[in-house]
Amino acid sequence: MTVAVLDGGTFYHHETIFGDRFRDRFDRVIYAPALTASDLTDVTLLIVPDRLNPDLLRRHRPLLTDVLARGRTLVVLGECEAETWAPGVRSAPRPTNFWWWLDPAETPPHRFVAPEHEMFRHVAPESTVWHIHGVLFPPDGAVPLVTVPEDRDGRDPGGALLYDDRVTTPGRLIVSTLDPFYHHGSRFMPATTRFLDGFLTWTRALARS
Amino acid sequence: MIRRHAMKTILRFSCGHRVSSAAWAGRLAGLDCTVRDVDLYALDAALRDDAAALLIGMHMDQRFLQANAALLNDYVAAGGRVAISGHVAHPFLDGLTPVRPLDGGGIADLTVARAVAHPIWEGVALEDLTFRRGVAGFYGHAWHAPPEGATVIHTLGPARRPLDFIWRLGRGAVLFHGGNDLWSFGGDDTTRRLLPQLVAWLTEDRS
Repeated sequence: MTVAVLDGGTFYHHETIFGDRFRDRFDRVIYAPALTASDLTDVTLLIVPDRLNPDLLRRHRPLLTDVLARGRTLVVLGECEAETWAPGVRSAPRPTNFWWWLDPAETPPHRFVAPEHEMFRHVAPESTVWHIHGVLFPPDGAVPLVTVPEDRDGRDPGGALLYDDRVTTPGRLIVSTLDPFYHHGSRFMPATTRFLDGFLTWTRALARS
Repeated sequence: MIRRHAMKTILRFSCGHRVSSAAWAGRLAGLDCTVRDVDLYALDAALRDDAAALLIGMHMDQRFLQANAALLNDYVAAGGRVAISGHVAHPFLDGLTPVRPLDGGGIADLTVARAVAHPIWEGVALEDLTFRRGVAGFYGHAWHAPPEGATVIHTLGPARRPLDFIWRLGRGAVLFHGGNDLWSFGGDDTTRRLLPQLVAWLTEDRS
């Protein structure tokens, strides 16, 4: 099995991918502008980290969707404009609630609607809780794992922050709006480090299965 | 550097995520310059365009920048000014070194101190740099070693770790801020002064 990750060349991609904590979670690091088909031939699971340049992802769309067509797994994290290039992805913006955690009366709106899902054997539900960058509308048959309800009397749409889609393509597409590579790589938000501890353990388990 | 036009141009680079500097027009009123948004991968062509200064932010592809270090060094040496924000993973200009973690993450470690006054930060309160909504660390929570001869403007914590510094390179100058984009601050506090004062410094007349 081979777990590969794209590197956008930013300081936070570098710190998360090459820093001591997670370096052993990736078998291959591919500099995104230089991605070619041969980089992906033997890849069982490919991670597109959050905030990767969406122009590059749109340009590489045939290579990325081919991973799924060959029955492999593609993981796409937040702020990558996945709705413009990944199969079946629909999204809507939602105001970013950067400061929710300063109000003691505020409880996070996150719901864990499939607690028996295998991801939660590795990922603690509360480690998915930080501010929200938009929501996803999973296709019929896909499994939402973290969702938020609509808010402010319907002005902010509800939807998924993370889902698992094994129906749209022959492969497996895991999509999220969460941005842990950025925050862990900026050394500033411990919840995102705890999330990656579990999530990158799960992606290795997935690549072996 | 030959300047054919009175109106000076600042290039603000992006990496795929759209930015629009048009929203800055009101805050830059009275400054004789325009800010042009440019895809980073068009750097080579953009630098032939006689720009007075560059904004290189925290979301840039530093591997690409490092591969183009000679181009950037030549640009500054010929008289250009560059403002850089973020942490450095891949040094891309003479004088840049990789980011280093602070010794701790407490409020004392994250408290910003001013080493010298500088026009870019005139009227900007240290309290507003250290805290946002009572939370410390948004302006800076890591440090970088400055090159020899640099002027350190702000430091972090009791160990006075360098956070902002400026150095000369040939006929030009580089301003480095080791945190969130210096030009992105501007809520309802004194950090709102940073953008226009930075742009004034980037475009001031110089020989």
